[in-house]
Amino acid sequence: MGLTFLLIEDDEIERLKFARVLQKNNYNHTLMEAKNGEKALEILENSEELPDLIFLDLNMPKMNGLEFLKILKSNPTLRYIPVVILSTSNNHNDLKESYEIGIAGYIVKPLKYEEYAYKIKCLIEYWSVNELIKR
Amino acid sequence: MSKELEILQRALQREKAARKQAEQILEGKSRELYQLTQELKNVNIKLEEGLTEKTSELQGVFGNLVDAYVLMDISGNVIKMNHAAKNLFGYNINKEKLNIATLIHKEDYQYAMASFKELIAKGSFSDYQARVYTKHKGVRTVHINASLIQNSKNQPIAAQGIVRDITEELERKQIFEEQKKQLSAIVENSSLGIALTQFGKIIQTNKAFQNLLGYTQDELLQKEVKNISLNDEYEEAAIKMQKMNDGILDNFSINKRYAKKNGTVFWAKTNVAAVRNEDGSIKYQVALIEDITEQLEFEKQRNKLVKNLEKSNKELNDYAHIVSHDLKSPLRSMNALLTWLKEDYAEVIDDNGHNSLNMLLKKVDKMDHLINGILKYSSIDKVDHPKQNIALLEIVTDIIDVIHIPDHITIEIITALPVITGDTFRLQQLFQNLIGNAVKYNDKKQGAITISCEQKDEFWEFAIADNGAGISKKYHDKIFQIFQTLDENNESTGVGLSIVKKIVDLYDGEIWLESKEGVGTTFYFTLKK
Repeated sequence: MGLTFLLIEDDEIERLKFARVLQKNNYNHTLMEAKNGEKALEILENSEELPDLIFLDLNMPKMNGLEFLKILKSNPTLRYIPVVILSTSNNHNDLKESYEIGIAGYIVKPLKYEEYAYKIKCLIEYWSVNELIKR
Repeated sequence: MSKELEILQRALQREKAARKQAEQILEGKSRELYQLTQELKNVNIKLEEGLTEKTSELQGVFGNLVDAYVLMDISGNVIKMNHAAKNLFGYNINKEKLNIATLIHKEDYQYAMASFKELIAKGSFSDYQARVYTKHKGVRTVHINASLIQNSKNQPIAAQGIVRDITEELERKQIFEEQKKQLSAIVENSSLGIALTQFGKIIQTNKAFQNLLGYTQDELLQKEVKNISLNDEYEEAAIKMQKMNDGILDNFSINKRYAKKNGTVFWAKTNVAAVRNEDGSIKYQVALIEDITEQLEFEKQRNKLVKNLEKSNKELNDYAHIVSHDLKSPLRSMNALLTWLKEDYAEVIDDNGHNSLNMLLKKVDKMDHLINGILKYSSIDKVDHPKQNIALLEIVTDIIDVIHIPDHITIEIITALPVITGDTFRLQQLFQNLIGNAVKYNDKKQGAITISCEQKDEFWEFAIADNGAGISKKYHDKIFQIFQTLDENNESTGVGLSIVKKIVDLYDGEIWLESKEGVGTTFYFTLKK
């Protein structure tokens, strides 16, 4: 069973990186992409199927990651979608605030693509064996 | 003859009768006299009894008089002294003669003589106050009321005086006066304005208070506190004053404004304390005021500066963070794109091309290190961890365990290392950077690094010595500047020693080095105890 991911990320190359990991590993998961928080909310409101997992960047123009996360977690339906943060830093305040609002994971993007690919692979394989609330 | 005889006999008879009569009268008279004598005797006895009674009564009075009583004859010889007088002067006139002149203090002699003349002339004097000598060379100050005793012919025969020892009373008075003087010297010379108030009215002020407000004492005494206060704060003061009246408060302090005579206004810190009667009601209030206009101005400026500093500090911190992250993002992209180029076009690119791509990747890596260095450097004094006692031996041992040490290098801790108060993270960074450098730049076949510490008066002096390449004198200052590195092979970022310097500065310490090129380097640094 393929999973559906929503990747919320403003940087084009970061989105390419994620897609490449999926493609290179021959995963049959579906990837939806949003350039920022607003776009992501639009997608969540309009798509017929909700994603199984959200990958969320913190630093984005317009609505940033934490603002999006707050809105998501206060929505009675959407709040059950696990969110994994993909951040530039392990800044303590960001970590703390994210976990306070409610996240399922926090990944610091490494400099090297190889390391990135490895981390994302681990994540996807982990979530593939998890039970998720399906709607 | 017979006739003559008869006449004679008759005459004799008459004479007899007359004598008998005379005898009877005499007898009567002498009886009367006797009775009179007896009566007189009785009266006399009674009088004597009365007199003794009075005398002993008087003696009792004099004996029990708290004040000294002295009776003297007209030439000044003391005839009588009561118990208090004996105690006061120390003489016993039953055993020795005493003339009043010996008692008079030499400096008061003229005054004594004048008073004595007044006594003779007017019959008494009162409120004589002078010094006297006692038998044992003491000097006492006494107060005397005296009167003259005259006989029935109004001639002076003696003088008596009531003497009160007022030495101590005077001393107490003097001490009291002295203290009052001292107190008022303090109050008058105080730089604090001091005012005594009663029911809102000013009843006493000191010089500083008058100067602060620009009013004279007399002008102030016409005023109420209300008249020299500004309405805004008067309310607050009045509330507290009420609490004071109710016995809830004994003192309070507020900052309030006062209106000066010239119409200007100043801020003053005002301390008010209650002086209470025995029943707890307020007798008056003492107000101490201190002009804090300047102080407030300073505080305002300081607060502004601190705020600005905090703001720019935070901005700087955020700036370093944001810039670093924004710089890192493109680096990640570059790394990804370069990696993909290598992967996707492995066949197309020749060795030269691969070489270039690899060098590009290295530069990207270096750039990332630099950015991490900035982040670390800018955050070293930002994160304030609680200070705790830290065993440096433990820290250093941990570092030696953690960092990679090639087999040909030995590290030795050659003295005891102290326990100091500080921040674990910073101390770790400090030692790790220095030990790390010593290891990294060692060019000898057998590398030897020693760590030691020496106790000085106010600080600890540490030394980390290596037998590495050594550092030329001209770089001794430069190496502590950020991004300055002597390393030619791209590995180092030039941040490590600048972090070390920053940490040593944070501990009020100093850092310097001794080095001989080709022989080795010793870094010394001090940490305040």
